[in-house]
This record gives sequence, C-alpha cells and structure tokens, in this order.
Amino acid sequence: MGSQHEALIADLRETARQIRVNVLRIAGMSDCHTGGSLSIADLLAGLYFHAMRVDPKQPDWDGRDYFVLSKGHCVPALDAALALRGFFPVEALTTHLEPGSIISGHACAHLTPGIDASTGSLGHGLSVGLGIALGVRIDRGANRVFVMLGDGELQEGSNWEAAMAAAHHKADPLVAIVDRNHYQTGPTEDMMALEPLAEKWTAFGWAVRCIDGHDMEQIVEALDALPFEPGRPSLILADTVKGKGVSFIETHHMAHFNAEQLEAALAEVGAGAVRHG
Amino acid sequence: MAKPFGEVMVELAEQDPRICGVSCDCWGFIAPLSERFPGRAIEVGIAEQNLIGVAAGLAVRGKIPFALGMNPFVTMRCFEQIRTDLGYGRRNVKVIGAYGSGLMYAGWGCTHHAMEEVALMRLIPGMTVFMPADGYETEQAVRAAAAIEGPCYIALAGGELPGQPPEDQRRFVPGRAVRLREGSVATVMACGPTVVDAIRAGELLAERGLAVTVLDMHTVKPIDRKAVGEAAATTPLIITIEEHTVIGGLGSAVAEILAEAGSATPLRRLGLQDVFAIMSGSHADVKREHGITAEAIVAEVMGRVGA
Repeated sequence: MGSQHEALIADLRETARQIRVNVLRIAGMSDCHTGGSLSIADLLAGLYFHAMRVDPKQPDWDGRDYFVLSKGHCVPALDAALALRGFFPVEALTTHLEPGSIISGHACAHLTPGIDASTGSLGHGLSVGLGIALGVRIDRGANRVFVMLGDGELQEGSNWEAAMAAAHHKADPLVAIVDRNHYQTGPTEDMMALEPLAEKWTAFGWAVRCIDGHDMEQIVEALDALPFEPGRPSLILADTVKGKGVSFIETHHMAHFNAEQLEAALAEVGAGAVRHG
Repeated sequence: MAKPFGEVMVELAEQDPRICGVSCDCWGFIAPLSERFPGRAIEVGIAEQNLIGVAAGLAVRGKIPFALGMNPFVTMRCFEQIRTDLGYGRRNVKVIGAYGSGLMYAGWGCTHHAMEEVALMRLIPGMTVFMPADGYETEQAVRAAAAIEGPCYIALAGGELPGQPPEDQRRFVPGRAVRLREGSVATVMACGPTVVDAIRAGELLAERGLAVTVLDMHTVKPIDRKAVGEAAATTPLIITIEEHTVIGGLGSAVAEILAEAGSATPLRRLGLQDVFAIMSGSHADVKREHGITAEAIVAEVMGRVGA
C-alpha cells in the first residue's frame, strides 16, 4: 500500500513536470501566461491523472467529472494536461497560432477536445461550474465539478455571487480550487488585498482546506477527501508560486522568452527526459 | 386566453425533461415549475451575473434553462455573461426579461427603463430576439424559444392587442412580421409595447381616410427582411416606433436593411432620441414627452402626405 502510494505520488510529480515542459514549449512559440500556467501544473496533474473521472476517447461522456478553467488565460497548462491525458496528440500543443489549430489563446470549448467551458474573461467560471453541478443534481448524477480560480480573479464580484449561491444550494459536488500565486500584474495583496481569504470562503459557507499547491502529497490528500463536508461546496486554497519551476520568471505576469532563456527554462524543468505522446 | 408564463413552463417541462428555470428574484414566474418538478426551478437571488453563469452551466450539462430577471438588469448587468457564456458558448439558454420591457416602469426612473434591451441582445451572434406584444405572442414566443437550439431573448408581455381575431385564428411564426393593417400611404413597424400605438395610429389615420400598413415585428432578430423590403417597395414612407433608444433597436435594424438594399424610401425612427427620459410622470406621460405615441405616428404621416 505504502509503495503504491509512493509510486502514485512519483508518477504525478513526473506528470506535473511534463505539463511544465509543454507549457514552456507553447511559451517558446508565442506570448502566453507562462507564470500562471506553471503555478497550476501540479494541481492539474492531481486532477486529471488521479481525481477526475474522464474518458479521453469520449470527451462528452455523461459520467465525466467536469473542469472549468475560470482563469482561462492559463490554458497552456490545461492543454498540456489534456494532451498528456490523451484527449489529443501532444504534437498539437505546438501548433498554437497556426490556422486550423485546436489550441487557443484562452480556453475554447469549440476548438479544444476536453474543454467544457470557454473562458478568458475573469469571474465567469464559478457560476458556470455551479450551474453544471445543479444540472447534475437534477439528473441525480454522481459527477463532480472542479473550477480553477486565480487569486487576482477573486477581485471580480461575480465570484462572490456564485460562492453565496453554491452554499445556499448546498452544492457539494462543486469544488473550487484557488491558485493562490500572489501575483496579478503586480503583487495581489498590494493591488487589492484578499486576506483573510480562507476566512472569506468559510464565511460564505464553504468547507475550506489550505494546502501547498506544489506538494503532491497534500494535493492528493485533499482531492481524496472531497467533499470536505457533506452539504457544502469545497474550497481548496492552494498556496502556489507564479512561474513555479523556472526560477527566473517566478512572479512574472507574462514571460517573453528568447531562444536562450527558453533553453535555460527547459533545462530547469529537466526537459531532457521528455516523453512524447 | 393565453396561458401565464409559469403554466407554459410546466407544460414545456412535462414534454421535455431538459427544460428548467433559473430566477433572479423572479420566483413567482417559476414557482409552478418548482411545485411540479422540485429541483428544476432554481433561485439565485438578486445576482444577474450568477443567473446567466448558472444557466450556462446547466446548458453545459444539456439542460434548456429559462433564465429570468427584470428587463433592464437582465440585459445590462450581466451583458458580458450573456455575450460570452451564452453567445460565444452557443448555449441553449433562454434569457427572459420577465417584467419592465421598454418604458413600462417610466415613472420609476431611468434606472428601470429597458431602453437598450433590443440593441444589446441583437448584438450577440446567434441570439434570437423576441419582442412579443401581448399574452398570446408571449406564449407563442416562449414555445418557439424552447424549440430553437441556441440562445434567445424574450421580453415578456401580457394583455391582449385590440382588434385581434380569436387566438386559434392568429399565427405566430418566428422571424415573420404580422400584418395588422394594410395600406399604401406608409408602413408603421412596431415591436413589443409599441404595437398597440401602431394599431391606434392606423385607426386614427383611417378616420382621416389614410390607409397605412401596420407590421408587428415580434421577432427583431432575425428580422423579417422580406417584410421590410416589401414595405420599402410598396409604401413611400416607413416609420418605426419603439420604447427604446433609436440607436441599435428596431429602427436601426430596419435602417440597416434599407441602406444595404439601396432603398430611397424615407425612414422615420420614433423612440428615445439618444436621451434618457429624465422626468416624473406616468408611462403615457413619458411616451408623449418623447414622441413615442400613436399621435406622433399620425403627425409623421400627415407631414409626409402634406395634409
């Protein structure tokens, strides 16, 4: 049992590393939100390779768990996770900006297999996730709904409308994950303070768990414990580092790589050992 | 007699398990649905953005949600959610302006004037926009919207238009104007709450021996292009009337068609002339002040015929 668990954790860490490598490849081709994509790599590995029930062969499978990337600008990480999970070939990731590509600059449900909701404007995803959860309840389904929120995004008031309604409707299949990477275009707490953040969610009626969003043990433990309380939506407040894995872009809003920097970034995440397909 | 919205919802929900309702403080409209199918009616409180997001999510799950709010707020506060989550998302959601179409809440002040509802909804690719004029058309629009795959907007209306045949002899075809009166002097086009003004103008002009065509444009998008083209070809003047700013609404939709067709037929757009209706008074007072009346239509026609 212990060794099985260790193997799982090691596997998920390797998957997260591969997500990072592919994010950097996308970043090497065009401007993208690299920092916020790298900060959710570990969480996405835990979701798509451990917690979520999905079938890459049938992206619209009725029994799937749903995922909404409310911070839709970090789609490179989601695209990488979906490709690695088998929704489409990994080679497609490096076609961004090419006409006919299935890779979009923000999450696009029309173009990319496995994406349920098009996002990009902040503050939309939690409401959509709640709607999916309430639809599942009508069907008496067992599907769960995961919504990834940015921390700066929480400055949009619409999130709190959704937070209030989710608790009111006791939507316990709904799980929100806050990627608390502390940066928007500048330091989040300086620009518009969110603290005390865990207390805000608790006050809104959510069952809250705080974790280190880069510690795979903690990620798996939290995902395995869902729902944290029956009758309450669950909130994972994941403390993360923007640009995690590439020391020289940590805290950067958008990273622009030249060829030399890209090589250095790839070296930091150990791109030498990349698995293809 | 037309059925109330709540009863129509129950009927539609019985026929199609995907039908559900979401309310932004409009619970009365979907309470019958809730009684019949608990769980398929959802209240989100006074929160338009969440209303539309939740409806979009229900549609992701394959439902056909009717999302209700008060007209000015359900079209403006959550415009981006409608544009992005419903329009771009191509979600099968029916946005319902449950009360307060046009200048209905005239005396309550400009915050409550839905003077942009048509313009905003018309902007969104793939959105069908219904402006029914009475209870019959409202019921028909609701049924039509349920059958349309894609986002729709309906500004609910009640009552009964004057001088109509029994309901079983009326017809409501989405995208097709209803000809309420025939005449060659001018064509008057109205939608929603101004159809009654257009009918009245037709009567007043008839008393003076002037026969005008009156068109009820209950579907503003997709608009009945054929009817507009015919009006331009067969009458020397077109007048649009709406409880709406003249920018972006019915008058604009008609102007776009006429201009692109190279029509020389003059067009007069009655409505709010790029102003807020800042005044105290009744619905009738505000309409009179801003020239959105049967009398204003009559004056336009008389001016043109030189009578």
